[in-house]
Amino acid sequence: MLEVQGLVAGYGGVPVLHDLSLTLAAGEFVGLLGANNAGKTTLINSLSGLVAPMAGRILFDGQDVSRATARERVELGIIQVPEGRLVFPEMSVRENLLLGGFCDRARPHRPQQLEKVLALFPRLKERLPQPAGTLSGGEQQMLAIGRGLMAEARVLMLDEPSLGLSPLFVQYIFGIIDQLHKDGLTMLLVEQNLNLTLRYAERCYVLERGHVAVEGAAEVVKSDPRTRQAYLGL
Amino acid sequence: MSELWQALAQGVLIGSTYGLLALGMGLVYGVSGIVNFAHGDFISLAMFMCLALFSAFSLDPYVSALITIPVMMAIGALVYRLLLRPMIGYKFLMVVQLTLGLSLVLQNGILMIFGGQPARTPSVVESKLIILGEVVLRLPHLIACVVAFVMAIGLYIMLRSTDFGRSIRAVHQNAHAAALMGVDVGRVQVMTFAMGLGILAVAAALLLPGTPIQPSQGLQYTVITLLVVVLGGMTNFVGIMLGGLVIGISEALGTVYVSDTLGRLVPYAIFVLIMLFRPQGLSWRAS
Repeated sequence: MLEVQGLVAGYGGVPVLHDLSLTLAAGEFVGLLGANNAGKTTLINSLSGLVAPMAGRILFDGQDVSRATARERVELGIIQVPEGRLVFPEMSVRENLLLGGFCDRARPHRPQQLEKVLALFPRLKERLPQPAGTLSGGEQQMLAIGRGLMAEARVLMLDEPSLGLSPLFVQYIFGIIDQLHKDGLTMLLVEQNLNLTLRYAERCYVLERGHVAVEGAAEVVKSDPRTRQAYLGL
Repeated sequence: MSELWQALAQGVLIGSTYGLLALGMGLVYGVSGIVNFAHGDFISLAMFMCLALFSAFSLDPYVSALITIPVMMAIGALVYRLLLRPMIGYKFLMVVQLTLGLSLVLQNGILMIFGGQPARTPSVVESKLIILGEVVLRLPHLIACVVAFVMAIGLYIMLRSTDFGRSIRAVHQNAHAAALMGVDVGRVQVMTFAMGLGILAVAAALLLPGTPIQPSQGLQYTVITLLVVVLGGMTNFVGIMLGGLVIGISEALGTVYVSDTLGRLVPYAIFVLIMLFRPQGLSWRAS
């Protein structure tokens, strides 16, 4: 469904990703692991169209989307739930969710989609009129994921959803992610939490300094000594 | 006592238009981080366009607004695309320089075409008065106040409850996240700037009847608008309208109670006083 071929991308002419390739099949749940600065966020920002590729291609459903704008990628259904949640703090939970379904493709089905998201996160239903900035970190993460689902994602890319959450909330969020996967959603999960990701994801890539160090089924990646090496930056 | 009521009424009427002027500037600042120092000269431009339309076709300023609004919006979109957008990402002062330069270009351009003599644009309502007890109101001021508040409320509703309005607020609160929602951030910035100049065109028509205009007046409007925006807390909608009223009223009180030249300093003195005690502006939320 999503294919990255020989991607080179970075900021201000300095590449962060070097010749990176990756595939994501429909319905698959892929983990993207790696230490800080390995290029995980740069990769999903390239997929979202926020970082322009210097070389290489990004294919979505076989169509080259390397040059598509951020807006066009959202219209295609490539949706990112960003690191640090980035909810709109002064807007209500409801408005945040409505903005999630802002794109032309999702807008006509917003009322039904809102029902679904609120059924998934009953906590958000209680908080609908509240400004998003007043929510707890865990609730903001629910909102960020809910916002992504409002866009009727075809590929949902989650950047560090466990960051800064209590262990209890981390379990809860991963439970939700697992459930979404079982419902057939294609997902790319960027995480620093190695063990949790290896437990839930079907396949993993381990990035090291902008290229893929290890890839394969979760068990294979888990037992590969290079995984820990890449992680510790040795 | 009747002097006080007169000054207060006049202050509210004029102040609401100042508030409207400042809303345009606040919106642009909110989504693009640009403080437009040519703001007042764009008001001049819109006023002189009304003057030209009167000279050529005897159009009343209120009718001319129907033409100047779309023209100013188009100018806004062009200025943003060609001049301001390429500057985004550079230092804030570079953008200030650019808009100051633009101010000089506009001011001297108007001077070249219309000359430096103060000019008036007549309107049918110009000399109509409304007398309420001891207070005498000029009809154009009353129209200005009503239109300003109607527009401010309309803008408020637009920002609150339409998708376009929500996308503007999203860009203001977090442009990166807005882009991830599929909001075309560049387009929102262009449209907001165009909208800001459209609002200016309305305010220009409202201020015009009975007011002599000259090409060098732009800076004065820029400064008043800046005072109001800063008082209102830059992006706080209600704060900005309130700031407009404060500046309008202090201007009127200054004119009535203090001798001429000193009277003109009253709004600035009040501004400094408020800033000393409430540096975050009039808005109650310190955001």
